[in-house]
Amino acid sequence: MKKILVADDEMSIRLLYSEELKEEGYEVYLAANGREALEIVDRIPLDLVILDIKMPEMDGIEALRQIKERRPDLPVLLSTAYGEYRQDFATWASDEYLVKSSDLEDLKSAVRRYLKD
Amino acid sequence: MAGERTAFLNQMVEVFTSTVSFGERLNNMVHLLGRNLKVELALYFALDKAKETLFLNISSQGPVPPHLRVEFPVGQGVVGETAVTRKIKVIHRNHRPVLPVDAPLAKLHPAYQTLASFPVADDNFLYGVLLLMDREDRSITHAERQSVQLACLMLAGTLRQAILQDEAKKRIAELSVLFEVGKALSSTVELEVLLERIVSTTAKVITARGASLQIVDAVTGEVRVSSRYGRIPPEGPFPPPDFPGPGGPGTAPHFEAQAADSQGHTHYCLAVPLIFKGQLRGALCVYDKFALNGDYLPFDPENRQLLYTMAGLIVSAIENALTYQQVEELAEKNQRMVKNLTALQEISQALLTTVQTDKILGIILQGLTLEHGLGFDRAMVMLVDEADQTLKGARAAQRTPLLQDLPLREGLLLPLSQEIPVAAWEIPLQAQGPMITAALHKRPYHHHAGQVQELSPELRKYYSPPEFSMVPLVVKDRVTGVILVDNEASGRSLAPESLESLQMCTTEAALVIENARLYSTIEANNRELLLIRERMLESDRLAALSSLASGMAHEIRNPLVSIGGFARRISKLVEEKSPLRGYVDVIQEEVTRLEKLLREILDFTGENLSYYGDHDLSKIIEETLILVQRDLDGYKIKVVKEFTPLPRLHCDDRQMKQVFYNLFQNALQVMHLGGTLTIRTFPLDKEDGIYAAAAISDTGGGIPLEVLHNIFNPFFSTKDYGTGLGLAIAQRIISRHYGQIEVNNEMGKGVTFIVTLPVAKYCLVKERGQGAVQAATLKVSKGGRE
Repeated sequence: MKKILVADDEMSIRLLYSEELKEEGYEVYLAANGREALEIVDRIPLDLVILDIKMPEMDGIEALRQIKERRPDLPVLLSTAYGEYRQDFATWASDEYLVKSSDLEDLKSAVRRYLKD
Repeated sequence: MAGERTAFLNQMVEVFTSTVSFGERLNNMVHLLGRNLKVELALYFALDKAKETLFLNISSQGPVPPHLRVEFPVGQGVVGETAVTRKIKVIHRNHRPVLPVDAPLAKLHPAYQTLASFPVADDNFLYGVLLLMDREDRSITHAERQSVQLACLMLAGTLRQAILQDEAKKRIAELSVLFEVGKALSSTVELEVLLERIVSTTAKVITARGASLQIVDAVTGEVRVSSRYGRIPPEGPFPPPDFPGPGGPGTAPHFEAQAADSQGHTHYCLAVPLIFKGQLRGALCVYDKFALNGDYLPFDPENRQLLYTMAGLIVSAIENALTYQQVEELAEKNQRMVKNLTALQEISQALLTTVQTDKILGIILQGLTLEHGLGFDRAMVMLVDEADQTLKGARAAQRTPLLQDLPLREGLLLPLSQEIPVAAWEIPLQAQGPMITAALHKRPYHHHAGQVQELSPELRKYYSPPEFSMVPLVVKDRVTGVILVDNEASGRSLAPESLESLQMCTTEAALVIENARLYSTIEANNRELLLIRERMLESDRLAALSSLASGMAHEIRNPLVSIGGFARRISKLVEEKSPLRGYVDVIQEEVTRLEKLLREILDFTGENLSYYGDHDLSKIIEETLILVQRDLDGYKIKVVKEFTPLPRLHCDDRQMKQVFYNLFQNALQVMHLGGTLTIRTFPLDKEDGIYAAAAISDTGGGIPLEVLHNIFNPFFSTKDYGTGLGLAIAQRIISRHYGQIEVNNEMGKGVTFIVTLPVAKYCLVKERGQGAVQAATLKVSKGGRE
């Protein structure tokens, strides 16, 4: 079973994403900020990470940088309420940049694309 | 004997006191003497003026014929010795034979035996010698001697009287002449009249047939004044042209000459110099002295003396008159200058009342043409057009007699009543000709007909009076225009004082016109600044709104995602027929609507940038059209496409699609009952570059006037649904692309939105297959991710 980490400081988002992804047949890990996300990345052999950008303690951009340092092969999707970070060079290291929507089809199809084998 | 003597002396006294002429008296006395002393010959020898010779003057035998010249030098012979010794001398021929020196005496009376000589003298002077001759050898008694001595005293007295009277006569004549001259000279200070009087009086006093006077400048030789009177012999003689020469007083003697004319008449000329204090010199000439019988006579030394005396008087009179003339000229000139300066002052004051070029030119032209102003018949202002490099007619006016009674102050501010149309006048600055050349060299130019250098044809086409003056308008060493004046209508010449005043006026005019120009530039700049300020205020307002909206939108997005996401999950779990189904669907739909609103707000506030690339505007429109195709078909809207090939546009194609999507949405809404959507694309060549343009027209009846000004305002909507951001977003995106959106509203018909977008220069270059590298560089600099 493919392992996905969802990092978001909003509990409701974490809950929604994990329910939807579990339904898709993935094993879901959750983190409330970048620091927790890094701990899980170090501990678990993950297949994909979904990162929010605005988070306390460590934001998604810093977490993205450190994850790509440690595991350059690990796909990281940014899922954020903001569109403007698209212009930030640091976000260009991500594999996908998604603006949050109540319709999770975009997110799920992206996940499927990266984990199709 | 004593009785005879008394009778003789009585007779002598009678003759002495008689009133007959002196010559007659002398004659009578010599005869009386000879008769009474009973001598055969009594002679009177007179001393000449030089007091060197004694010549036979009177003889008791009758008048001395003119050819008979008997004279003795003083000191020689009996007569000469008597004149020196002043003593009586009696000689008997038998005692002293005739000496050679006395030979002429022997000729007068060859048989004389006795000879007595008496000095005729008074206490001071010797006048002559009386000589008595007789053929008898006789003695002269003491009484006879006394009688003769007495008679000689009387002769001397008579002679002295004669001389005194002669002198007195001359003096009186001279004085009366001088009186006449003085009267003539003091009667006027008008130089011309004075000169006429001088020459006529001179001719009359000298009794000459003609007289002339000429005064020249001693340095330049230029004739200052001259005057003539009477008949001046046409063939001369005349004094030489340089008479009396440039030397000072004393070096200029008189000139005297005679010459025969072609008819053989001899003419005479006498000239004396006129010596002035200043650098003037002159000559006073008289010609041909009148004789009573009509002959011409030479002038005598007395005439010369009189002429000299007159010359002295004349010089000071002429000097006075010249000074008076100069003073009068100066006074007149001053008066004109004062008038002109007053006018300039008034013009100056009037110019302070406005900063509008047109009004300024009006005041200047009134000032130049009004009678109380500088009074030119016509005046024109031409201004330099820097861009065209031409001199262009601005305004012009001619003198109007209607305003003569009005004070200048008021006249200046009136509109020009006789304006000359000069707007079409246009002279290239490189035109050849003295006027343009002078203007470009910042020099005034005075033109009069017959000038060697011809005016350029470009000027003559509009303006070629026989005389005119041009003064350039110069500000900070730059020629900004010219003022032209002439008096063609009245034919008066242009007075130097008026031209001086014109120059002064022009100096001020140049400054004032330049100030007006600067003022209007400043005004235009101010207007632009105001506009920019308004725009900045608006964009500030929008920026504040944007940041508020953006902050709120982000905060709302997370909960919305949760609400919507869970609603979808619930929806999947609720059975089709459950009443909860409808509720959950409402939640989902509302969340979707809110999310759409959020996207629009965030689009407007600038979340999404950076899809810049080189795109074809027509293709963008085609692709956008596909998105609304279903609605177009649904509403039965006819689409007309008129696409012209365009240069590629550097733009964010997604944003551009958004623009046209919004415009199409608007069109759809007003044409939901059908209509025609016309889409045209075309290139536009503007001053600052090439633009790609698209015009989207609908047939939806147009926008009501009361809302037209609001259509680009955010959150303004006439629709029951929608955010009202459609057109505001479109405008935002277009201005980010440095373009423009305009609306062309035809009430009752429809609306046309025209979008114009600048085609970047490198896009044009790239069109020709170059500059790709540059394009790439630019793309990166936009910071976007392609």
